[in-house]
Amino acid sequence: MKKGNMSRRYPLEAKHLTRRKLLKAAIVCATLAPSKVLAKPLFDSPVGVNRLRPPGAVPEDVFAGKCIRCGRCVEVCPYHSIIPLDARSGVYAGTPLIYAEQIPCYLCMKCVQVCPTGTLKNISQEETRMGLAVIEKYSCITWRGEALCRTCYNVCPFKEKAIHLDQLRPVVDEKYCTGCGLCTHGCPITVSPGKKAINIKPIFAQVGVRW
Amino acid sequence: MVTTNKKGNRSRYSTYRTLVQTAAFLVILLNPFANYYLGVNFVQGWYQSLGIGKLWFVSPLEGLESILVSKLVYLPLLVGMTIPVLLALFLGRVFCGWICPINYLSELLDRLRRFLTRKKIIKDAITLPKYLLWFALIGELVLTMILGAPVFVWLSPPGLVGREIMMAVFFRTLAIEGIIVLMVLTMNLITRRFYCRYMCPLGGLLAFLGSKRKLVVSRIEPECKECGLCKMACPLGLDPLKGESLSNYCWNCGECVDMCPDRTLRFRWRRTPVNGFIPLQVQNGSQPRDASK
Repeated sequence: MKKGNMSRRYPLEAKHLTRRKLLKAAIVCATLAPSKVLAKPLFDSPVGVNRLRPPGAVPEDVFAGKCIRCGRCVEVCPYHSIIPLDARSGVYAGTPLIYAEQIPCYLCMKCVQVCPTGTLKNISQEETRMGLAVIEKYSCITWRGEALCRTCYNVCPFKEKAIHLDQLRPVVDEKYCTGCGLCTHGCPITVSPGKKAINIKPIFAQVGVRW
Repeated sequence: MVTTNKKGNRSRYSTYRTLVQTAAFLVILLNPFANYYLGVNFVQGWYQSLGIGKLWFVSPLEGLESILVSKLVYLPLLVGMTIPVLLALFLGRVFCGWICPINYLSELLDRLRRFLTRKKIIKDAITLPKYLLWFALIGELVLTMILGAPVFVWLSPPGLVGREIMMAVFFRTLAIEGIIVLMVLTMNLITRRFYCRYMCPLGGLLAFLGSKRKLVVSRIEPECKECGLCKMACPLGLDPLKGESLSNYCWNCGECVDMCPDRTLRFRWRRTPVNGFIPLQVQNGSQPRDASK
């Protein structure tokens, strides 16, 4: 009964691969192939200098896959540091990002407690590694010897550990720096749009994933 | 052509459903305001993942995609998926019918349309085979695994409703991808719930989970006059006369139950087939009953 139906709906010749079908398939493949190249910006990560994932984030490799874009970290963030990306970021649309020089992360650790997918792992303040603060010594007025600014030292939540003063000049210790961006936010020197004299480089986002 | 129910039981389930839907929509509508202006974080998220205090809900498809793509199992994610999955196992696609904001908005638009055209029945212009839903689910999962980025999570219409509301409240702007919501709603003009019927992978997954569901709309055959009103009422274009209310696709909204003038359609708790009280499936061989007779 069922078989009879099937053969009626799909006549015999349609099962064969005709020349027309082959050509059609070839044309489709030819048009789709360069779209992979065109689509490159769709797969480029938005993470970069001062563009950070929230605390406890898994490596950028799997971030877009693991995050379900539920926005709970955005809603729970009391400082509105976390901003969801939109479709211009390609596959990263809807994922959370922190613009460190605008509103840094104050390490309240609320987002890691609500993330349902483990994209933001539930870690402590000290374990957080959103990136590493790097001082641009040629731009920093203290390092240039023009003034005695120590704003980054003053605002650092792990003062004396993450940033200490060496002959009154700030020095970052990568052992303790959480990459929260408070120093970047506080830094009075803007080198270029989005860049200060001390910037957060998300060096931990690039580590590979180990299963 | 259409008569309202003489026994006065019309819009029984519709009323309940509208109440539930409105409450569910108010959660995602008001919650961003509470988060932003009052700093109350008790509830977060929307229907991709919703946190109410310590209670987490995660949409099954979103969770599945996250696991498939990251190839890692995160236990809290599974725990969050438990309640929605159980709900689908026992009640079927009730999320779609009773909670989903896309369906809610579509129903509001349907009401507006009925009001404007002064017609009680909305005709469906294009009907496609219902099994397209499975292709949507499988295709979406395969594409997700190939791309390494979850596709439905990325641009899921029910999720986008929540995201757009949050964007509007938090950042006073709207994300571009919201255009998908508009497209999905516009497709209702062609065929009611066109997206939900044939294209929604989440609906497909919930329908799959609800294959052996307990709650079904079943028909008392001897009392049925086979007027066919139920088919016209069904937003998914299912025909309870052919037993399609027992199929996977039905989302138990109760529109047909409300519409039935003889009250022959009822919600039933499907028991084990031993007592044979409820016809589980109408045989393929039986001739389809003509609704116009």
